[in-house]
Amino acid sequence: MSVEEAAYAEVDGYRVAVERSYDPDTHVWACVLAPDRVRIGMDPLGVETSGTLAQLSFLPLGTPLRRGQSFGGLEAAKFVGPLTSPLTGVLTACNEAVLNNPGLPEVDPYEEGWLVELAPTAMDTELAMLVSGSDIVPWFTQRLADYRLKGVIAQ
Amino acid sequence: MSRPPEQLRVLDFGRVSPLRSQTLWHAVSYGLSATRQPTLSFVRPDAPYVCVGYHRSMAEVDLAACAAAGWPVYRRMVGGGPVWLDDGQLFFQITLPADAVSAFRTQALRDLLTPAVTAFQAAGVDAVLDDALEIVVGDRKICGHGAGQIEDAVVVCGNLIQRFDHRAATTALRLPSQQLREDVERLMRRYVQATPVQAPTFTQAAVTAYGQALGLAPVEGELTPFERQVVDELDAQFTDPDWLAGPARAERPAAQVKVRSGVWLFEAERAGTRAVVSVVDGRIERARLIDPQLNGSTAAAERALLGQSLPAAGQVLAGYGPAGRRLSDVLALADRRGSL
Repeated sequence: MSVEEAAYAEVDGYRVAVERSYDPDTHVWACVLAPDRVRIGMDPLGVETSGTLAQLSFLPLGTPLRRGQSFGGLEAAKFVGPLTSPLTGVLTACNEAVLNNPGLPEVDPYEEGWLVELAPTAMDTELAMLVSGSDIVPWFTQRLADYRLKGVIAQ
Repeated sequence: MSRPPEQLRVLDFGRVSPLRSQTLWHAVSYGLSATRQPTLSFVRPDAPYVCVGYHRSMAEVDLAACAAAGWPVYRRMVGGGPVWLDDGQLFFQITLPADAVSAFRTQALRDLLTPAVTAFQAAGVDAVLDDALEIVVGDRKICGHGAGQIEDAVVVCGNLIQRFDHRAATTALRLPSQQLREDVERLMRRYVQATPVQAPTFTQAAVTAYGQALGLAPVEGELTPFERQVVDELDAQFTDPDWLAGPARAERPAAQVKVRSGVWLFEAERAGTRAVVSVVDGRIERARLIDPQLNGSTAAAERALLGQSLPAAGQVLAGYGPAGRRLSDVLALADRRGSL
């Protein structure tokens, strides 16, 4: 198994990155690139349950964010809703490619379809609130089963 | 003391200015974050105006035409494209705590538009909610809608279109050519339909339908002092140039207009090669092509595209030599998400 393959697990047809931390309420992932740099995106279930993404927008760079605050907006099915930060920090970058092509997170939610980066200010305590490591696959598996039972995603 | 949550507050704002026809119900969303009071509201603008969805570009609006007609232009906090509104339309908004609504957007929309369909039916309109979440009679849209989460509130808006001026609705749009303008108006007349229901009949039916669907007892109410204060603040925000400009976005390579879900048009041009195309349910229903080297084949190429999907259109045009390949490239500039 290659290093790249080891970074992902297969869960009933979904490719799930295992070297990230997930907010279980919002399906937003965080990936620590450096102590002062965290990349954020939506996981495949977050993308799928949002509907077809028509528009994305982000707050201006430099905006301070608290965990649970909106870092931008998402529009699908004429429904505008917040994109919620899993960590406290300052917005330092946004992915221009997804602004130009909101479909990118549907195609590649973990790499090309990342959303923003922030400089975290409370990472040690807040990362512990997210799902990570060996908890990821059981959590994703259970959530997938729940959503299929509710009929919000296809069998 | 806050009202018990088992009540559905009903607010009828009556006829108000265009600005207030937006800011009043937005204020309800902000107020709900504090009170958690589910609210069904109604409002009718007393004059025409234009309103742009939260994410959309003001470049889609013909601001000069709007100014000449005396139509103000505002930006709302919910989704959808630029729309023209006037006193022939009665608007309703259902506003609920976000945690009382399905976390899944399409399900939330279905849940909160279904009572509106029931209200249309009770008023004698043979309305259904189709798979694309449009309220339709047959294949004609009879209700525009938008939705959004504003702080801790989810709001879904729609309208009873008693009269509709398709020409004015088209005039408000910034379109690159008269051909596209004619096609937009043609398809709008074909797929957007007024239902001349008496407003009190519809509002009463909507109050009953939303109350029953939500398990809440409708009670006439009024704005709270906090909501009144927010209305004043939103009056200022909605006329602020920075708010009107909206969030940063990329320029679209093609001019696109959606008439209803699945019915959309686009015009794209590159180096003298131009296409004006209308699409209905995934198939091209009219195409107008211009390329200096297409010569006498223009009409044949336009006919060959009828009934084709956009991906297949590229293959069809490949049979028309270099001009066909240039036209195929122009068609590729369309964003098929424009139909969503």
